[in-house]
This record gives sequence, structure tokens and C-alpha cells, in this order.
Amino acid sequence: MSRKHFSRGMLMLVMTFLVILWMTPLFITFMTALKTQKEAGATLPWQLPQGFALIDNLRWAWSAGKLGQSFVQSMLYAGVGAALAIVFASLAGFALVQLRPSRPFGWFLLIYAGTVFPFQMYLLPLFYLYQTTSLYDTRIGLLLFYTAIAIPFCLFVLRNHFTTISQEIIEAAKIDGLSNFGIYRRIYIPLSVAAISALFLFQFTWIWNDLLFGITLAKSADVRPIMAGLAGLQGIYSSQNTPGVLAGALLASVPTILIFILLGRYLLRGMTLATSGE
Amino acid sequence: MNTETETAVIYRQSPAKLHSFRNWVEPYLYLFPAVLFVGVFLLYPAVYTFYISFTKWDGLNPPQFIGLQNYFQIVKEPVFQTSLRNTLIWVVATLLFPVMLGLMLAVFVNRIPLQGFYKSVFYLPYAISATSGAVIWGFMLSPVGVVNAFLREVGLGGLARSWLIIPPWNTIVMLIAFTWQTTGTNMILFLVGLQSIPTDPIEAAKLDGANAFQIFRHITLPLLKPITTVVITLAVVNSFKVFDLIWVMTQGGPYRSSETLAVTMYRESFVQFRLGFGASIASLLSIIVILFSVVYLRSIFRQES
Repeated sequence: MSRKHFSRGMLMLVMTFLVILWMTPLFITFMTALKTQKEAGATLPWQLPQGFALIDNLRWAWSAGKLGQSFVQSMLYAGVGAALAIVFASLAGFALVQLRPSRPFGWFLLIYAGTVFPFQMYLLPLFYLYQTTSLYDTRIGLLLFYTAIAIPFCLFVLRNHFTTISQEIIEAAKIDGLSNFGIYRRIYIPLSVAAISALFLFQFTWIWNDLLFGITLAKSADVRPIMAGLAGLQGIYSSQNTPGVLAGALLASVPTILIFILLGRYLLRGMTLATSGE
Repeated sequence: MNTETETAVIYRQSPAKLHSFRNWVEPYLYLFPAVLFVGVFLLYPAVYTFYISFTKWDGLNPPQFIGLQNYFQIVKEPVFQTSLRNTLIWVVATLLFPVMLGLMLAVFVNRIPLQGFYKSVFYLPYAISATSGAVIWGFMLSPVGVVNAFLREVGLGGLARSWLIIPPWNTIVMLIAFTWQTTGTNMILFLVGLQSIPTDPIEAAKLDGANAFQIFRHITLPLLKPITTVVITLAVVNSFKVFDLIWVMTQGGPYRSSETLAVTMYRESFVQFRLGFGASIASLLSIIVILFSVVYLRSIFRQES
């Protein structure tokens, strides 16, 4: 019995050490973001700040560092992109499960094939397509792409979910004279609210965190998404204004951390979904 | 299949031909937006990249077909060889650290209280983006950064160095940053697996006097095999795809010493403008990733089609 207590004590000790190790980078980043530039240069990173310069640093990252514009753009890309992807994917999923076109599994694979390739496979033709259609460096261009890339995974999850909807309800609705679109809007969608919310947050996070397409398909400060803005900021200022850049990194993480804190359980479930799908 | 013949029958029998045509076309109307978006922005570019990989192309004039020349040429380039070697290091290191450590943490956390707390702590680095993580580690590892300051403070100043500029240290420290960010997700997946395995065999083994390690080695690990397969395949596939972290921390440098295939593809395409090379690296990467993906895609779609 005491041996069991001993080994459990050891475990707790090891875990405490690992927790401290894991939190140190975030802790020190936060501490440095609290300091003024001068103070950050003169003190050791783990020394407590004298004043409270966080607001000033955030303000600097937002306006002088031009992260504010990217922040607003990314809200649009992630919010609208995820929502549109869910609308299109749910329509397609409804067609595959309820309306049964010929070869539904073939159609599913065609759309799902969009997630199979590494992203490098899309870059070159997209870049030149965007150049020739003047979608390059435009908000609509990025929004269209983010919508497209979110669709396959949304379809995967929604199609799975739709197959669990009871056929009895649908037969009853048909007898009541509901059209197909009525069945989609009045039965399929209301019965999928939980899955759709989890999916929305999951896709919002993905689009928000994207860097690769942001730097490939845009360049202007008022078009490029948040992570492209942050990478640009760090490239220019990382040695000149360390607290400002770190405040920027924290600022860029606020929405996804909020999503994680508020809806952590859903997000972890979303990750389990992703394992079976992406 | 069945529906096809059904609609055909309706089509022949129904007096209102227009109505049955509507029935036939309706599913495709619902499918159309998704197929259009995926086709234009994902499938067409993927197919076109594959085509470009067999051409000489400057982005302005029409591509010229040159067969496999890009592939033959690229494998001879030292840059590509370094990149390939780094990629393999990333794959192996991902299995050694984020996956093994994730499994270890899951086994530990499964045996002590406060699971929710530990899940949050180890998942948090993943909740901030790869880009933010890279900015944070760039700050930790800069010549005047936290790591060097700490080493000097504890009297190990001799070990302090420009971590991101000296190979192979730049790759090693990026692997540490990557481990910090991704171990939590593996831990959570393993935890899900651990909590779904039956407890009876473990109880029986305990009664027979097996120790903790024996139980883990001979009972838990074999029962965990399905989830382990998923985690390992995902980790391997993702390690081939790492881009953000490397691009923000070193841009693959200095002198392209820390590039992986994903980074080399980007640099060849958008910095050196050798588009054919870029496309052939992308195609090679796709083939590797798809081969690995087949393992778990097969397990997902086992029940279907």
C-alpha cells in the first residue's frame, strides 16, 4: 500500500515538473509583454516587471505593427469562411444522404480528395490563377479560398452526422408535404446544431491560424490575415521591440485561446473528429 | 445504383416529365456549390501542379513539357539532399518525442486526479497558433534570449550560443519547440484510447502479481494498438507538412541548412522562381503523404463502399 502511495507521489512530482516546464515559455512571454522596451533590455526575462506596459505594447502591435487590420480581416475570413463552408458542405451532405444522386460515395470521395494533398500541392497554380484573375491580394480572394479548403472536412463530419438522423421523422415530414429544401432546413439543420457549432469553431481556428496561404495569396497590410501579419511583424521588429512583438503574438492568439477556454470540451471532441477524418 | 433505376422508372411512367426531370437534377443542385469550390480551388491546382512538375515553366510563357527532367535534376542538388535529410530527421524525431512523450503523459495522467487541468496545460501551446509558438521560441532562443540568459545565470555560459544560426542546433531547437506545441494533442488522443480499453484484463493481471511495467507492456500497449496506429500515421503525415514553425523561426536558413521539403518547395517556387522544381517537390511530398495517409484512410472507410 505504501509503495503504491510512493509511486503516485513520484508521478505527481514528475507531472508538476513537466507542467512548470510547459508553462515557462508562455509565462516568460507574458512577463516580457508586460515590460517597456527599455525595461526588457535591462532586466532578466524572468524578473517581475516594474510597471504595466502591456496595454501600450498591445496598442503598438495593433496600430504601428499593423496587426489591427489583419486581426479584423481574419475575423472576416475565419467567421464567414467557416460559415459558408458549413452551408455548402451541409447542402452537399444532405444531397448525398437524403436525395441520393447516382454514386453518392464517388461524389463524396471527389470532394473529400481536397484534404488528401499537402498544401504545397495547391500553391503554384493558385498563385498564378489569382494573378491572372486579379484575385491576388484581395479580401474576396482569400475568403473564397478559405471557404473551399474548409469544405471537405465539414462534409466528412456532417455526412456522418446526417446518417444518424431517423428516417421516421423524415417520412412523417414528407407526408406533411414538406419539400426537400424544407426537410433540409426544418429537420436536418436543427438536428445538427451541436455538430455544426463544434465544426464552426474548429474551422474558425484552422483558418485563423493559417500562415502559408496568407503569405502566398496576399501581401498588403489591410488584406493579409493575422498570422501573415504576425510573421511580418516579427521579421521586422523582433530585435527592436521585443515586448511589442510578443504582445502581438499574444494578441493573435486571443480568439483561439478564448475558443479553447470557453469551449475546450467541444474542441477536444473536434480534434477526435479530425483524427478520424483529416 | 438503386436510385438510378428508380428514377428511370419514374421518368418513363410519370406523365409530368418536367417534374421527374426536376427530381433527377435536384441532388446535383445541392452538390454543385461544394463541388465547384473544391474543384476550382483544390482539385484543379493539385492536378495542375502535378502537370507542371513535368514541364519547364517561368510563370509567364506556356509550360514546356520535359518529362522527368525536373525530378532527375532535383535529386542531384545538394539543397534538396539537405532538405530530404532534415525531413527524415523531423519524421523520426516526431515519433521519438511528441508521440512517445504523449503516450507517457497519457499513461501518467490517467492514474492521477485533475485530468482536466493537465489536458489544458499540455494542450494550451497548441491552442496558440504555430506562428505564435514560433515567435515565442524565436524570442526564447535569440542570442540575447531567455535560454542563453538562463545558462549564463546558472554558470553554464559556455553553452550559450546562437541557437537558430548554427546547424544542427537550429533543427534541434525547432524540434524542441515542435514537441512543446504538439505533445498535448497526442496525449489527449492516447488518453481517449486508454479510457476506452476494458479494465478486466488489467485487474486480472494485477491479481496474478504483474507489475505496472509488465501490465503496460503486455496488456495496455497491445489493446491500445488501434489508436497508436492513428496517432503515429497522423504524426508522420504532419511532420512532412511542418512549414509555419520553420518559416517563422529560421526561414529554412541560414544558407538553407534547416529546410525541410515543405519549406524547400516554397522557397524554390516563390523565392527562386524555379517553378518546375517547386512543383516536382510538391508532387514528391504528395506521393509520400498519400502513401502514409492510405493506412488510416483505409481504416476510416473500412465499413463503406
